[in-house]
Amino acid sequence: MPLSFSDRVRVAPDVLFRLLSDEAVLVNLKTECYLGLNAVGARMWNVLTTADSVQSAYEALLREYDVESSRLRADLTGFLDQLVDQQLIEAIPPGPS
Amino acid sequence: MTREAELPHRYCVYGLRVASDRPLLLPPDASDGFCDLEIVHGDERTLAAALAGGLVESESDGWFSRSVLADGSHHVRWDTVGEFVVSADGRRMLCRRMDSAEPASFHVYMLGQALSYALVQQGLEPLHATAVVLDGEAVAFLGGNAFGKSTLAACFLARGGRMLTDDLLIVRESDGIVRAYPGPARLKLFPGIARRLLGDVGGAPRMNVDTRKLILPLDSTLTCAMPARLRAIYSVAPPRDAARRPHVAVERVSRRGAFVELLRGTLNRRSRGPARRTRQFSTLARIVETVPIRTLSFPRSVERLTEVRDAVLDDLAEGRSVPTPSDFAPSVN
Repeated sequence: MPLSFSDRVRVAPDVLFRLLSDEAVLVNLKTECYLGLNAVGARMWNVLTTADSVQSAYEALLREYDVESSRLRADLTGFLDQLVDQQLIEAIPPGPS
Repeated sequence: MTREAELPHRYCVYGLRVASDRPLLLPPDASDGFCDLEIVHGDERTLAAALAGGLVESESDGWFSRSVLADGSHHVRWDTVGEFVVSADGRRMLCRRMDSAEPASFHVYMLGQALSYALVQQGLEPLHATAVVLDGEAVAFLGGNAFGKSTLAACFLARGGRMLTDDLLIVRESDGIVRAYPGPARLKLFPGIARRLLGDVGGAPRMNVDTRKLILPLDSTLTCAMPARLRAIYSVAPPRDAARRPHVAVERVSRRGAFVELLRGTLNRRSRGPARRTRQFSTLARIVETVPIRTLSFPRSVERLTEVRDAVLDDLAEGRSVPTPSDFAPSVN
């Protein structure tokens, strides 16, 4: 199921993440699949997995990068889709904290 | 567990202390006490008994077969060379040489591919690489079979380098330094390359009956018997890729690219599971963080070897830093 911008995301169980300088590598121990993230992907990962919601991650990234809001939204959506497809993140639906 | 008196021959290879019931083609180890690996020779009946518990996984390509036994041991067999049973904890290897195999050939398989199963079971992460020592530091060439790793090593030996290990590289990190460990003192080369780079190779045994590749024992003037700081890793491009590029190229790779190169260069990739993946992830990432990794592409011509060697030496002298991409766009690959 696609993520909503109101969702909060967390790292899926069995996923290891390692920052290598400003890039990153991940492995999903369940699927035994490795992935590499470039510097922008690694930063998006860090912001997404620590933010209160995808929307707040989006706003933080918009402040950080000199990028059109529509392009960032499209890139972030595509990135999230890939992460969900690879079972690297999962959604925590919004609710009372 | 075998009694110590039954394993009187002590050696050190890849940083492991090895005890064997028969002499091996390795430098002796004078230290007493605990050994990391016992090697015991058996006959056909002994090996058959070891396999009696049944197999849970098996595959074969005709000449080579590999099985996992019910107790977690691995059985590997090369039809004209020998067979080996490596215990689940990687601390014991039972082996049998086929009658048709030369002892030197049997030892190459025992102390290379078969031993790599023991290394993985012991929690180490062997790399498919050959390493030489230049000015006291190790330089490794990573790549698959027939990628030219040993030829490159021979080229460096011909100009004063020393052989550290051929085809199987074990590294360990301590105090922020990654060190490469010495393997058996030999090199495997085709006769033409061997004669050209190392001189007379008369009497050297073949790797196996289906290849002309020779096993060349190296004396102490050509080898390094001590661990050495790993200065750089060159991931050798496959011959088919190199054929498309007529020039010698040493290229920097991003850190995630370097991680992928190392991952491709691990041995026994069919041995899987979360424990190994976790260890592999951590070990490889640490190497990437500590050791410069480049790709090396070159035409497979003996006439160009000096050029390849010079390109590597130039790169080592430059000690360039690894760049990172700067354009905006997340990338997952």
